[in-house]
Amino acid sequence: MPSSRLLGHLAEHAVNRSRSVALVCGDREVTYGELSGLAERYAAELTALGVTPDRPVCVPAHKSIDTIALLIACFSVGTSALVPSSELGPSALRTICEQARCSHVLTAGADGRPKWTVVDGAAPEGFEPVDPSRTKVLFTTSGSTGTPKIVPVPESAFDNFAEWATKQFALTADDVSLSYAPFNFDLSLLDVWVILRLGGRVVLVEPAASADGGRLRRLVADHGVTFVQGVPLLYQLLTEDETATFPTRTVVFTGEALPHRLLPRLVRAFPEARLYNVFGCTETNDSFIHEVDPATAGPRIPIGRPVDGVEAVLLDDDGAVIEEPGTGELLVRTPFQTSGYLQSALNDKVFRPAPDGVGGPFYRTGDMATRNADGTFVLEGRRDFQVKVRGIRTNVLEVEAVLASHPEVEAAAVVAVPDDAAGHRLHAEVERKPGSGLTSLKLRGHGAQTLPRHAIPSTIRIGDAPLPRTSTGKPDRKLIKETVMKG
Amino acid sequence: MDLETQIRDYIVSEFLSGEDVPDLTDDFDLIENGVVDSLGLVRLISHLSKTYAIPVDDIPLLPSNFRDIEHICAFIRQSPVAASG
Repeated sequence: MPSSRLLGHLAEHAVNRSRSVALVCGDREVTYGELSGLAERYAAELTALGVTPDRPVCVPAHKSIDTIALLIACFSVGTSALVPSSELGPSALRTICEQARCSHVLTAGADGRPKWTVVDGAAPEGFEPVDPSRTKVLFTTSGSTGTPKIVPVPESAFDNFAEWATKQFALTADDVSLSYAPFNFDLSLLDVWVILRLGGRVVLVEPAASADGGRLRRLVADHGVTFVQGVPLLYQLLTEDETATFPTRTVVFTGEALPHRLLPRLVRAFPEARLYNVFGCTETNDSFIHEVDPATAGPRIPIGRPVDGVEAVLLDDDGAVIEEPGTGELLVRTPFQTSGYLQSALNDKVFRPAPDGVGGPFYRTGDMATRNADGTFVLEGRRDFQVKVRGIRTNVLEVEAVLASHPEVEAAAVVAVPDDAAGHRLHAEVERKPGSGLTSLKLRGHGAQTLPRHAIPSTIRIGDAPLPRTSTGKPDRKLIKETVMKG
Repeated sequence: MDLETQIRDYIVSEFLSGEDVPDLTDDFDLIENGVVDSLGLVRLISHLSKTYAIPVDDIPLLPSNFRDIEHICAFIRQSPVAASG
């Protein structure tokens, strides 16, 4: 459904592959024939509710077969779907629904009927209307604040991406993919939608199984998963049992750097697989790929080279293009990228005209990268205060601002501490106002109103003492981080 | 020490860096408020399994069973091994 052509493919599968299993979730399997029937029932419900192509609907990304059927139904009635995290706080959800002018928030019920609420807020100014003839799906950036940015995925971007991915990984209707990431991540375009487009099988990982190595290993083994894509945490869980091996053909790691110690474990657990490091962003989808040769891999795995059709540019601190090997901010232009945030004022900051003035805009990734003499690229880290928490891009300054907005908070500093399992975990150091009895739990409650769960700091230390400051008066994040890491 | 106090002490020392506050009521939602995340849930369940001799295979990993101290205690009480022992 990210595109009309995908709908056409699904209609063909419903006839030609009607008895082939399309989706597996827990004990439930549905065939392409059943999926088509389910989507038709949802489509009838949507029409009865008065859903029309004039306004998008919001479908929170609950991980279930019914959510997929509901999304197919939305696209088949011609409406676009905004797909935010199912863990988004209620006020943030309302805000983005108003921004996208959604008519309904829809959740697939187990009984094949959608639960729904009507959105009746007025659309704020400065947000482009969604064009359902060009865009079927809208993601949100992971949004460490209460207001994620809305990213439309043009149909043509999805079709281009599907064609690239199918060729790159030699995917066919015989493939079985593991859908580990939530549906609101751009990763689902590949591990759910490209696979369904081909008539393959998608094995959904329910949230309850997502941190459970034993269940994940059983899913991959029992369903003969041939294609796995995920953040390093997934591979840590899949490979923690040293005796388990899988016949998987393709292993893609993405989202953050793979810890070096995991590479030998991957080779042992996936003896037949080709291993790929892939780099991409919600705004551009996959942009770089590197096939890893474990025999020669060093401690830092490159992101490799731009994928077919992608152009990459490095800019120095003055904004000049670096032509030679060197290090600078990475900008990319991909055939898969968004037409721009719905809030058009945000676009000037991150989309830049091409340096040579030819063609469409480049996206500023916010990542520093080095181009080696052989033309391969290596990531050097973020330009700003963004880190990955459990694979999700999170801006520590934005989390800080949410905590500091509590009326009893004098000052707050949030630092990201490296964590073996999660990539990073967040720690908050908070100074409360004099006479306040604010507790960390109350502050958590405040944060949970607007922050997605991954962005709520794992630890919050709250007290009356002033925060340590640098000579320029900023919170001394370095000192706070060192203190936390010493335990 | 009653079960609620044991679980409370464990949450305070493992997930709240030792900060014990009256706000941590038996129905404070640990998952909604980001105290226990999915990795934390696995840690919590492994602790329950060891401490209360509940076979880990019998533990359904449903976050709703572990949402707050009340649910965790109810879960331990209704597990067959803990009930018989």
